[in-house]
Amino acid sequence: MNHDAVESRAQSRNGESALIAARARSLTKIFGSGDTAVTALDSVDAEIPQNAFTAIMGPSGSGKSTLMHCLAGLDNVSSGQVFIGDVDLTSLSDKALTKLRRDSVGFVFQSFNLVPTLTALENITLPSDIAGRKMDSEWLDTVIDTVGLRDRLGHRPSELSGGQQQRVACARALAGRPAIVFADEPTGNLDSRSGAEVLGFLRRSVREFGNTVVMVTHDPNAASYADRVLFLADGAIVGEVAHPTTESVLEHMMALDPQGRS
Amino acid sequence: MFKAAIRSLLAHKLRLSLTAFTIVLGVAFVSGTFIFTDSLRSAFDALFDQKQPDVVVTAHTNFVPSNRGGGQPTAATDSLPERLQSQITAIPGVASSTPEVVVESVLVLGQDGKVVGPQGSRSVGRSWVANPAINNLTLIKGSLPTGVGQVALLDSTATAAGVSLGSTVAVVAPTGTIRPLVTGLLSRSVSGSLGGTVVIFDLPAAQKLLLSPGRVSDFLVLSEPGLRQSQVAALIKTTLTTSVPGGVDTQTGAQRTDEITKRIQEGFGFFNTFLLTFGLIALFVAAFLIVNTFSMLVAQRTRELALLRAIGATRRQVQSSVILEAALVGLVAATLGLLGGVGVSKLLTFLLEKLGVSLPSTPLVLAPRTIVFGYVIGLLVTVFSAWGPARRAARIPPVAALRDDVSLPVASLRVRRVIGLVLVLVAVLLAWRALHVVDDANRSALLIGVSALCALVAAIALAPAMARPLVKVLGLPLPRRPVSKLAIENGRRNPRRTGATASALAIGLALMSAVGVINASAKASVTSIVDNTIGADFVVLGERFQPFPHQVYRELANTLGTSVVTYVRQIPVQIAADRSLMTGVDPIALPKVLNLQMISGSIANLALGETVVDQKRANELGLKVGQQLNATYLNGKGTLRLAGIYKDSGFYQGYIVTLPQLVAIGSRELDTAIYIRVAPGVIPATVRASLENSIGASGAVRLQDQSDIKSEINSQFDALFGFVYALLALAVIVAFLGIVNTLLLGVYERTRELGLLRAVGTSRKQIRRMVVLEAVLIALFGALVGLCLGIAYGALLRKSLESQGITELAIPWGQVGFFVVLAVVGGAVAALWPAFRAARLNILAAISTD
Repeated sequence: MNHDAVESRAQSRNGESALIAARARSLTKIFGSGDTAVTALDSVDAEIPQNAFTAIMGPSGSGKSTLMHCLAGLDNVSSGQVFIGDVDLTSLSDKALTKLRRDSVGFVFQSFNLVPTLTALENITLPSDIAGRKMDSEWLDTVIDTVGLRDRLGHRPSELSGGQQQRVACARALAGRPAIVFADEPTGNLDSRSGAEVLGFLRRSVREFGNTVVMVTHDPNAASYADRVLFLADGAIVGEVAHPTTESVLEHMMALDPQGRS
Repeated sequence: MFKAAIRSLLAHKLRLSLTAFTIVLGVAFVSGTFIFTDSLRSAFDALFDQKQPDVVVTAHTNFVPSNRGGGQPTAATDSLPERLQSQITAIPGVASSTPEVVVESVLVLGQDGKVVGPQGSRSVGRSWVANPAINNLTLIKGSLPTGVGQVALLDSTATAAGVSLGSTVAVVAPTGTIRPLVTGLLSRSVSGSLGGTVVIFDLPAAQKLLLSPGRVSDFLVLSEPGLRQSQVAALIKTTLTTSVPGGVDTQTGAQRTDEITKRIQEGFGFFNTFLLTFGLIALFVAAFLIVNTFSMLVAQRTRELALLRAIGATRRQVQSSVILEAALVGLVAATLGLLGGVGVSKLLTFLLEKLGVSLPSTPLVLAPRTIVFGYVIGLLVTVFSAWGPARRAARIPPVAALRDDVSLPVASLRVRRVIGLVLVLVAVLLAWRALHVVDDANRSALLIGVSALCALVAAIALAPAMARPLVKVLGLPLPRRPVSKLAIENGRRNPRRTGATASALAIGLALMSAVGVINASAKASVTSIVDNTIGADFVVLGERFQPFPHQVYRELANTLGTSVVTYVRQIPVQIAADRSLMTGVDPIALPKVLNLQMISGSIANLALGETVVDQKRANELGLKVGQQLNATYLNGKGTLRLAGIYKDSGFYQGYIVTLPQLVAIGSRELDTAIYIRVAPGVIPATVRASLENSIGASGAVRLQDQSDIKSEINSQFDALFGFVYALLALAVIVAFLGIVNTLLLGVYERTRELGLLRAVGTSRKQIRRMVVLEAVLIALFGALVGLCLGIAYGALLRKSLESQGITELAIPWGQVGFFVVLAVVGGAVAALWPAFRAARLNILAAISTD
C-alpha cells in the first residue's frame, strides 16, 4: 500500500502543471495567537489534479477541513500560497475572492446547503443568477436529469428529504461548470442509501463530465468513491492512496493511527 | 431561575438594549410631560401664593360665570367710579383700598411693528399700585411713569420689544396706538411671563388711555388684622349695593388664587393630556417591538430552555424566567426613561422659550406619582408584551434539547384572522352608524374614532395574514434579480414578525395621514368659506382680533375707488344661558360684503329691536323666528325679537343686530372689522396703497385681501398640525427602531444562510442590498396599511365634522407621497446597521454555526 501511494504521488508531481486544478504551497494556518495558538496546517504542499475525484481524510483535528477551506478561498492563510488554476488566492481582495468562488468554485456542505426561501431550481441556478449570467440550459437539463430531481424542482428545501437536498446542492455546485467542486462531508448527515446516491453522482460528474471534485470525509466507504485519497494528520500530509477501496483506506488509516483503533 | 434570567439578559444585551431604548423613549416622554407640567404648576402656585389683597371689588356682572366662551368682556362697561374709594375705605374692617386699572389686550409692538408675545398670551395694561403689600411688581431700573407720555415695562417685555430705558415704545391702547417714553423697567416677584407683556401707566394715564377718566377696573382691599376675608367681602358687597347702579361683586384673595390656579391647571391639564396621548401611542408602538424581541429571544434559546426543562424546570419556571427577564429590562428602561424625562421636560421648556413663551424658572418637580407611573407603565408594557412569548417558551418540549432542528409551536393565524375580520365588520358598522344614523357631530366623530380604533386593531390582527401577499405585490416592481427575490422571500418567511414590525409603522403613519387629511380639508374648507362668504375685496382687522378705534373707519370711509366701506362692532351677550357675541352691522351695506345665507328673514330688513342668529345656535337653544329673546349684557338686560336665521358659515356666528341697536345697548367707539369693496371696474390692487396709507403705520390694524386671509388661517393650521406631526414623529421613530430590531434578529437567525450565500459567490454589496430591500419592503407594507387606514379615517372624520365647518374634503397627495418616500428612506436607513453586520459575517463562522 505504502509503495503504491508513493508511486502515485510521484506521478502526479511529474504531470504537467496545466493538469493541476488547485495547489497549496507551504500552506500554514495558525488559529489564535500567543500561548493559545494552534497550528492547524503546518507548511502543507498539495496538488489537486484536474478531472479527478480527490478525497481528503484524517482524524478529527487533523486539519482536513481547514485545508479544504483554504483551498476553496473560504478562509485566509497564515503563510504560504494557494492557487486555483493560475490564480494566487492569497493575493486576492474579498471582492475578487467572492467573484472567484462564484465563477470557478462549487460547494457542497455537510448540512444547510440550500437557501430555504428558494425552490430547488432557484437554488441550483443561484450562483449564476447572482452573477447575472444566463445558464446553459442544455447543461442544466443534463445536471438535473443526472441528479434525478426533475419532478422536485418547484419544491422548497423543507419539502425535500435530506438526500434530495444534498443532490440539489450537488446540482448547484456543478451547474455553473466550476473549475473545481469542494464537498465538505457531503454524506455526513445522510442514510447510507442517500449517501451512495450522492457519492455516485459526484463520481459520475468526474468520469462523464470531466469535473474536478475535492471531498473531505472521515468515512472510508465514502473515500472509496474517489480516485485518490490524501491523508492528513496533525496539519501535515502523511500519505496518499490511489484507486482506493474501503479496505485499502481502512488499512492505511490504521497504519497511520494505531492508537486510534484500540 | 433568577440567575438564568440575569445571565440571559447579559448574553443578549445588545438586542435588549434596542428594545429597552424604545421603552426609554416612551417612558421619557410620558414622565417628561409630568415633570414639565408639575414644575410649571408649582411655579404658578408660587406665583399666586404671592401678594394677594384680602378682597377685590369689581363691578357686578350679570353673566353666569364659567359659561361657554364667546367673547372677552370688554373693559368698557365693566368698571367702577374711582370716587367709590372713600366709601370703601369707610366700611368697618377695611384697612385700605387701592383703585386699579387692569385692561387686557394692550399690545406692545416690536421694532418690526409686530405684536410682542406669542399668539394667545396675555397682554396687559395696568395702573401702578403703590402699596408694596399687594404689588407683585418691583421697579428695577429707572423711575415710575407719570402722565400719558410715559410707561414702565416688564423687563422681559422691553427685551422682547427691543426697547430700552429712555426710548419710545409703540403701545396699542383701546383708544389708539401711542408712543410713550419708557421710564422704568420692572421685574415680577416670580420670574417668567408665559410670554405675556405688561405695560404700566400711572393711574390717571391708565384711566384716560385704557378705560375712561374717573373709572377704575377694581379696588384692591386690605382688611384690618384678625378679620376673615369673607366677612369683609360680604360687608362690602351689601354696603355698596345701593351706591353703585347694578351693585358690585367681591372676591376674596383666597377665592381669586383658587380661581386662577384652577384655570391654569385646566389649561395645563389639557396640555398634559395632549402630550401624554402621544407618549402612550409611542409606548403602544414600542410594545410591538418588545413582543418581537422576546419572541425571537425565545426562539433562539429553544434548546437552552428545553435543556432547563429536561433537567427538571417546570413550565411555570421557564415562563417566569422569561417574564422576569422582561421585567428586568422594563425596570432598567423605566429608570433611564425617568432620567430622560428630565431631559424631555427641559426640551419642552426650551421649545416653548423658542416660541417666545418664557416660563417661570423653578426647580424641576419629580413627583412620586411621576416615578410610580413611569415604572408602572415601563414594567407593564414590557411584561405584558413578553407574556405571549413566555407562554410559548413554556410549551417547548424537553426533547427539543436533544434535537437539532426544533421549531417553536407556531400558533395558526386563524384566530387572528377571525378576530380581525370581526373587527373590520364592527368598524364598518360603526362608521356607517356614525355617518347615517347619528346626528350630533361630536357623537358622530366619537363613533368614527372608535371605529378607527377597531380598524387599527383589525389591521394589526390581520397584518401577518396580509404580509405574505402584500410583500410579494410590493416587490413586483423590483428588478428581477436574485437579490430582490431573496429580499421578498425574507420579508414573507415570517409573516407574524413582518406583520408586527409593519404594524408599528402603520399606526404612526395612519395617525399622521389622518391628521394630514383633516389639516388639508380644514384649509380647503377655509378657502371655500372665504370664497363663498366674503364678498369684500379687503378686510381690516385689529391685531390679535382686538377691537380698534373708530378713527380707522373714518380715515378709510371715503377712499377713492371704493364703493362700500362698512364696519361692524361686537359685544358679549348671554341669551338662554348661552354666552356668545352680538355683532352690530349696517343692514344695507353688509350683504354687499358678506354673503350670509339666510334660512329665514333677511339682514337688509333688520329693524331696531330685532336680531338674527345662526342656525346651529337656533337649533341648539330651540329658538324660533318671531320669538322674544331675553338678552343679558354686561351692563343690563333687554329683549330682542328673533327676525331671522342664517346658515352658520364657520366664520360668522352669534347674534346680528343693527348698529343703532348696539349703540342703544351700549358699546364703545371700537370696531371689530371693516369691510371694503372696490368700485366696479377698479382692480383691487390699485386701491391697496391708498388704503394702507389711510390706515397709517398705527400697527393696531391690518389690511388683508382674500388671499391674505386664507394664507394667514392656513399658516395657523399648519403651525397647529405641525406640532401634532412632531409629536407623532416619536411613534414613527420607535417604529423604525422596530425595523432595525427585526432585521438584526433576522440577520442573526440567518447566519448560516448568509454564510452559504457568501460561499456560493454573493458579494457583500449584494448581501447589503438584500437586507436593505427587505427593510424597505417591510416599511412600504406598513406605510401602505397605515396610509390606507389614515386616509380613509381622515376622510370619514372629516365627513362627521362637516357640520363643524370642515365642508371640503382634501387629500394631501403630496404629503402622502412624502410619507411613502419617508417609509422607503427610513426603512433603508434602519437597514444600514443590520446590512453592515450581515455583510461582515465571517463566512466560515457562519456556515459552521450550530
